[in-house]
Amino acid sequence: MAAAIETQKLTKTYRSRSLGKVNVVDELDLVVEEGEIFGFLGPNGAGKTTTIKMLLGIIAPSSGEGYVLDKEIGDMEVHKVISYLPERPYYYEYMTGMELLKFYGSLFGIKDVAKFQALLEKVNLAGDATKTISQYSKGMQQRIGLAQSLLNDPKLLFLDEPTGGLDPIAHTEIRDLILQFRNEGRTVFISSHELSEVERICDRVAIINKGVIEQQGKLDDLLRGGRMEVIADGVSKELADSFKGEDVVISHHNNRVILDMPENNDVNAVLDSLRSKKATVVSVIPRRRRLEDLFVETVGRADSRAKGGKPAAGAEVA
Amino acid sequence: MNVILNIATTTVGEAIRRRVLLVILLIGVLLLSIIPALGILSARSETAVTVGTMYAVLRGTSALIAIVLTIYMLPNEIERRTIYTILSKPVQRWQFLLGKYLGAVLALLLMIALMTVFMVALFWVFQKPPAEKVAEVATQPFMYWMEMSLLSAVGMFFSTFIAPLVNFFLTIGMWLVGTVLNPLYDTLAKNGQNGVMKGIAQIVTNVLPNFANYDTKNPIINPGQVIQNGALYKWSTVGYTAMYVGILLLLAIVVFDRREV
Repeated sequence: MAAAIETQKLTKTYRSRSLGKVNVVDELDLVVEEGEIFGFLGPNGAGKTTTIKMLLGIIAPSSGEGYVLDKEIGDMEVHKVISYLPERPYYYEYMTGMELLKFYGSLFGIKDVAKFQALLEKVNLAGDATKTISQYSKGMQQRIGLAQSLLNDPKLLFLDEPTGGLDPIAHTEIRDLILQFRNEGRTVFISSHELSEVERICDRVAIINKGVIEQQGKLDDLLRGGRMEVIADGVSKELADSFKGEDVVISHHNNRVILDMPENNDVNAVLDSLRSKKATVVSVIPRRRRLEDLFVETVGRADSRAKGGKPAAGAEVA
Repeated sequence: MNVILNIATTTVGEAIRRRVLLVILLIGVLLLSIIPALGILSARSETAVTVGTMYAVLRGTSALIAIVLTIYMLPNEIERRTIYTILSKPVQRWQFLLGKYLGAVLALLLMIALMTVFMVALFWVFQKPPAEKVAEVATQPFMYWMEMSLLSAVGMFFSTFIAPLVNFFLTIGMWLVGTVLNPLYDTLAKNGQNGVMKGIAQIVTNVLPNFANYDTKNPIINPGQVIQNGALYKWSTVGYTAMYVGILLLLAIVVFDRREV
């Protein structure tokens, strides 16, 4: 699969009076494949928006290379086939939904009213086309934002916190639209704090902390290595205690045992042992790690590594 | 070019809805409406006082609108993130900047035209002047519009690297210096006795925009001034404005292009 985005040692350095030179994004190596939904995660100030701005060509990198759809970042040709929905976007409030699409369309030289109408229908705003943006709810503003981002039929969409601050219904609507984009063959790059949302829709993710990529890969691979839960009845206390081991949690009550163990433990050996003692295995449930666990673990590990004396790779972004 | 025009049109749409600008415009119109009454109190020619005061109000109001309009133009776009949505499209920074400037100039044209129509109507009703006098009164605001185009370029240039509040004082300071002090420096540069002072005056008068150039018809400020060739003067002022605006916008583009947004 071809890469929609590829960066090599992409770095952004700012000068700060108090901190001196600060690498807000530090030697970023990122690969986003075509046709996937890619989640770009990180705590506040991690360098997510700065990375997006560099990829969009809005700000220039201090060093390193980056390619978007096989063209160097900043190439105006790329701007014809990409789009961007910023975090908490503001649109000229006096405009109606239709006027907004006409304005942004005009920047591409698009004047096709039927296309604007079709986009409004796609984001369920056809009935509100003549209302001004000031009359739109947050969810509607986000949907008109998505409509403007589809004006040029983009191959690659950058969405910065697309569901931030929305109610659950608006959340679902936006999520469905993003999944629809992937079905249409578009690549979607999402920067988000909504980890449950990212876990539901993303194919691959990268976790960035203080400008450095800490984890990157397929979601399934990153969340593998979870835990296994075994429940069995007719188990004596002695038998339950025989399963003690590193990172194994044993709960025993009324001859029922619940074993919570790492996935890489030999589950078959445990089951064989239980059966040989005439115990009844009630359930064996593999429990995948949640993205939230991975995120907290990764960021926590990176922070403690930085505090432990190793040089911090980055600094807070304003 | 279309991109610049589209950004300019949107800028006009936004400018004419900005409450702070509308309040300044309203105050200007209210001040204009009481001026005919002041003429009666004057010992000098009633017409001269009325026209001169109206011009002063129109000019001051326009200057305030031009400054408030331009100093917030770029910072607002960055703060509200609208600039990111626009620059992620096939729009270059210089196109964005020129579009915003053109929008500001067009919005000023609309507002100055509105005040001029109101001013001329008042003049007509209260002074009952001959038609050619009315036409003469109505032409001066065109010069003010050029002046405000230059002032907007100053505000726009500073807004590429200076915060709005500092920019406000800097731009208003430039206007006041260019309006009040520049003619004095100009005289000093031409007739000064001291060589050093003459040199300084020449630098100041050449570097700072001379906003006094635009106020030729005010009968209070320039009671005896007669311009031999009106058309030539106007065209040379247009040229002066175009050159100055061009330089300022070029500098603004260079600074804005390097700025982290």
